[in-house]
Amino acid sequence: MTDLSFENVSITYRSSTDRGDVIAVSDVSLDLPAGATLGIAGESGSGKSTLIMSALRLLPKSARLDGRVLLGGKDIKELSFGEIRAVRWAQASIVFQGALHSLNPVREVGKQIIEALEHHAKGTWTTPEKRRERMFGLLDEVDLERAKASAYPHELSGGQKQRIMIAMALACEPDIIIADEPTTALDVIVQKQILSGLADLVADRGISLLMISHDLAVLSAVCANLAIMRHGELVEYGPSDEVCLQPQVEYTKQLAGAFPQIGDPESRLHPRTLKPAEVHRAEPFAMSEEVVLEAKNLSVSFDTRRGRERAVRGVDLKLRRAEILAVVGQSGSGKTTLARSLLGLQEVEPGSQLAFAGSPLPRKAKALRTFRRKVQMILQDPSGSLNPKRSVYEAVVEGLRVQGIRDRQYERVIGALEAAELTPAADYLESIPQELSGGQRQRVVIAGALALEPQLLIADEPVASLDASVRGEILSLFLALKKNLGMSALIITHDLGLAWNIADTVAVMKKGEIVEYGEVDTVLSNPQHEYTQELLAAVPRLGSQSLVRNE
Amino acid sequence: MSANTPAEAAPGPSSNEPNPRGSETRGSTPAIDGAKLIRERRLNNAKKNWALFRADVPALIGAVVLLFFIVIAVAAPIIAPESMLDVTKQLDAPRYAPPSLDHPLGTDGLGRELWVRILWGARVSILVGVAATVMSMVIGTIMGLAAGHFTGLFGGVIMRIVDFFIVLPSLLLAIVLSSVLERGVLTIVIAIGLTSWASTARIVRSQTLSVESRLYIERARILGAGHRHILFRHLLPAVMPLVLANTTLTVGGAIIAESTLSFLGLGDTSKESWGTILKNSMDVSAATSGYWWYVLTPGVAILLVVLAFTMVGRAFEAIINPALRSR
Amino acid sequence: MSTPTHDDPQPGESRPEDPRPGDPAAPDASPENSTAASAPGSVGTADMDEPPAGGSFARYLLGKIGGAATSMVLVILLGFFAFRMLPGDPVLKIAKERPMSPAQIAELYRQYGLDKPVIVQFWDYLVGIVTGDLGESYVYRKSVSSLIGDYLGPTLLLTATAAVIAIALGLWLGQLSAWRRNSLFDKLASSTSLVFWSVPTFWLGLILLMIFGGTLQWLPTGGMITPGLDPWSPAGIIDVIKHLILPVISLVAVVYAQFLMVMRASLLEEMNEDYLTTARAKGLNEDEVRRRHAVPNALLPTVTVVFLHIGGLIAGAVTVEAVFSWPGLGKLTFEAIRGPDLPLLQGTFVVFSAIIILMNLAADIVYRFLDPRVRRA
Repeated sequence: MTDLSFENVSITYRSSTDRGDVIAVSDVSLDLPAGATLGIAGESGSGKSTLIMSALRLLPKSARLDGRVLLGGKDIKELSFGEIRAVRWAQASIVFQGALHSLNPVREVGKQIIEALEHHAKGTWTTPEKRRERMFGLLDEVDLERAKASAYPHELSGGQKQRIMIAMALACEPDIIIADEPTTALDVIVQKQILSGLADLVADRGISLLMISHDLAVLSAVCANLAIMRHGELVEYGPSDEVCLQPQVEYTKQLAGAFPQIGDPESRLHPRTLKPAEVHRAEPFAMSEEVVLEAKNLSVSFDTRRGRERAVRGVDLKLRRAEILAVVGQSGSGKTTLARSLLGLQEVEPGSQLAFAGSPLPRKAKALRTFRRKVQMILQDPSGSLNPKRSVYEAVVEGLRVQGIRDRQYERVIGALEAAELTPAADYLESIPQELSGGQRQRVVIAGALALEPQLLIADEPVASLDASVRGEILSLFLALKKNLGMSALIITHDLGLAWNIADTVAVMKKGEIVEYGEVDTVLSNPQHEYTQELLAAVPRLGSQSLVRNE
Repeated sequence: MSANTPAEAAPGPSSNEPNPRGSETRGSTPAIDGAKLIRERRLNNAKKNWALFRADVPALIGAVVLLFFIVIAVAAPIIAPESMLDVTKQLDAPRYAPPSLDHPLGTDGLGRELWVRILWGARVSILVGVAATVMSMVIGTIMGLAAGHFTGLFGGVIMRIVDFFIVLPSLLLAIVLSSVLERGVLTIVIAIGLTSWASTARIVRSQTLSVESRLYIERARILGAGHRHILFRHLLPAVMPLVLANTTLTVGGAIIAESTLSFLGLGDTSKESWGTILKNSMDVSAATSGYWWYVLTPGVAILLVVLAFTMVGRAFEAIINPALRSR
Repeated sequence: MSTPTHDDPQPGESRPEDPRPGDPAAPDASPENSTAASAPGSVGTADMDEPPAGGSFARYLLGKIGGAATSMVLVILLGFFAFRMLPGDPVLKIAKERPMSPAQIAELYRQYGLDKPVIVQFWDYLVGIVTGDLGESYVYRKSVSSLIGDYLGPTLLLTATAAVIAIALGLWLGQLSAWRRNSLFDKLASSTSLVFWSVPTFWLGLILLMIFGGTLQWLPTGGMITPGLDPWSPAGIIDVIKHLILPVISLVAVVYAQFLMVMRASLLEEMNEDYLTTARAKGLNEDEVRRRHAVPNALLPTVTVVFLHIGGLIAGAVTVEAVFSWPGLGKLTFEAIRGPDLPLLQGTFVVFSAIIILMNLAADIVYRFLDPRVRRA
């Protein structure tokens, strides 16, 4: 078996621009003894990916590595190119993010697995037939049909691609598997399947696992030890239960706090953050009985290549004043389509009834425009939602201009930015999106919606693309908007924890239908529907190595 | 605390109603800072772009070459009076004289100095190149935007038209157009401009499609925006830098197209252009008769100008698209 | 289902030459129109999230044939209206270029059918196209169809030879150039192609003619074959090849440069893709990474652009054939312009366009086999 150890590793990217060299990793020492499992957590830019790529000498030429990376006791810097090629995959292999372009889009996936075997025959898979047999065996191990060997990557789902990546990594019986965000962009249930599958395969063979992720809970579900990285430095290291449950460093606390423990009363209606939004009303608004938006028997269909498909089926919803409703479901459950149809952005089937403040939703373009003043939507990715060339002022005033609101534009913009807690608002007016952080951008997008003084805000995964430490800030802002302005909100998410953090009511969607709908406390502490139970069970818990022990 | 400071107007056309509220003071001061910030940012951008351009040696050389040709084209009547092109006044001049001190670029079969013809030819060739490019850019941008933005029947029809012009080579269409219209410089401009916009439309269309899929377009729709707002506030500004960089690259193509049409005898024979000179040289079989300067000089002039436009255009392209810079 | 306020990304609308950034990699960007993820028990085997299977080849083919047919109809319409509707009476124009008596002019009107109403002219024209009758050439005094028939072969020989060489050379040099970016080889290859890109094809032909035909007298200066030789005898074949060399070089030089730049750019685009890292991590050497992974992917966008430029190459034949007196459609076009011989010009325009449209149709079909992703488009 092979050990992997990083000894005082620093990695610098030389850059020809005047910014000078960029230090990606500085002075990191970590050990991965044979058969161990280690997780490295960190947000984007923490240097975690750079670090693991150095293990197989896969860094670009512009990177300089100081310190030593030892693989089986040998310094990988001293290996010849031929030796390092032999080490790659045979001793240590990598599970890349399958959802991205890690598979060659124009080759059959089976052939891509066989390719690894061809290069590292190891005396076992010497003939094409043997290699083919081995490839099918690998597909069996990761629970994929053998027929999938002749599929192209675009014909597979994200989960299936990830399984292919795992099969490929196992192909040459490596001693070490390095997993790079193996479940990002996957749904919780698929994530659980992938993680437990990976954990089993690794445990059965005594393979050591080095996994990196931005998600502390995912790592703690599989790995025995955890390292936290920030700005290229190692900030905390220890057994994963300790790191997650009794974090020593402020930063780790913040990361751990971003994952609410469903059922934990402390985080109910109280997202953990260092910068909570201000509630300045003496008597904050609370959920009332006045119905703002009502949908009855709402159905939406699409024409797809497979014919007409119903994305939303007979949904009944009621949103009251100052209520936060979380619609929870996996991707493909129809929740985004539902949101679009509530806004009139999506044509609904006959028989669907949609009413806003008691009157049916307008259908004509002009009336719809006026209607949009009252109902606004926040899209998933704040960076994409802002025109990169437009200043904050222009982004926020856009809605006013479009709606023909000419009076007091400047005051309205300032007011909206302040309500979104981007203060002092005047300082940000002429900034362009690239000068703002992800959280600030989301505040600008929210301010753009608030400028129209809507009664209802629909938000599509408002925190999914933000770093974990910003998540709490934005969620607490939603709570504050409700309490200060009496605004209603419908929040679409895949994350049950978000519902626990801020929502009054929750609707669980599956295949276009709402399978469970009710008060958050009732639904999440005592789920009735099988699917809700399954979703709840799949949410990774902090610090329990749950997936390893359960299986 | 006057309400009518220029800065007050900066954030947008506010209403005529003077606002009695105290927010006024807070409002006007940062607005000045804001305007300054924008100006600084633009200045910095311009400086940065200029530095990038200056670092690109081929582009710099290209710019100098262009400047040279533009100056000689504009100053042609001063440097060499038009009478030097008059055949009747060249009766004593030697015919087909090879380049020498007396005749720097040689003479043609009617005794005219080639350097004078090149000088005057630059006027038509560059003018046609630029005018045809402007025309093709305007059509290409409109068609590309429409094809990328509109869906349904209208979008489909536009798309088909664009596809048709992409598939058919512009030279073929230009030949047809210029052979049925009156001969003249304007005809050549129209023939090239009307037929060469497809590649611009293609680039604009794919850029439009990629911008169209951005969330900020969806956000504008959510805010209630219609086609006009999305087209002019978001899509057009997003494609404009690309169109401008492409313009410089297209001028070269248009100059070559002009020379080709003139060579085929579709140009205005009464006006000097580089293509016309080449056609004359072909008519007297200069290539096989040993009058090498007659063939070489106009072609080298075309090569230099087109290459210069290409170099400058590539530098512009690299400035607006940093991903290309490493190439 | 589309309202004026909402433009969904259209599923059918994905022409290969418009790669949208991140398109295949962004599962979240598409509207959620697929059904929910896998059922709890059946792991992996029945993944409902799996993208739908591909559309049928027949449907794809029909779509492309429909597109080509539309283009062809447009060409036929243009062929008629450009020559009759545009300002400038074609007959008067001919009359201006050469002295003619009023009787001759009237005869011309009758001959072109210009004395009949437009709709009748159009009908005659359509019937003519379908029956292969494209009118009579004014200069040659022969039927346009038979002239085109005589001259088609040499053009196909010239352009096909040039196309094959230009594609092979351009793609091969382009991928080498991109892979060794900023090396001496890359700089030389890129700058030569920029120079070739900046010259008119016919001028390059003239220069070649001057050097190799005129001064050095190594190669014949014009025509396709020395008169009197049998083109199918060994000596005749060699003679044709000799005649072919200069025109082919002129055509290739300008076009290969474009292919080189396109191939280079699209390979550079692929250079930072994650699947190349996967391939390297698997232990492939750089050559294998390039040949097996990078080039097949970079080829796809290149192929579409290459086929679009085939039209330009065929059009380039007009001037090159004129320079080298190559007895092809290009030379015929050149003579038609000189005439001016409008029926002949109209005929060569329609036939040239038809060839180009057919080539593009072929390209679309080939593309489907190259790119597995289009197989379901």
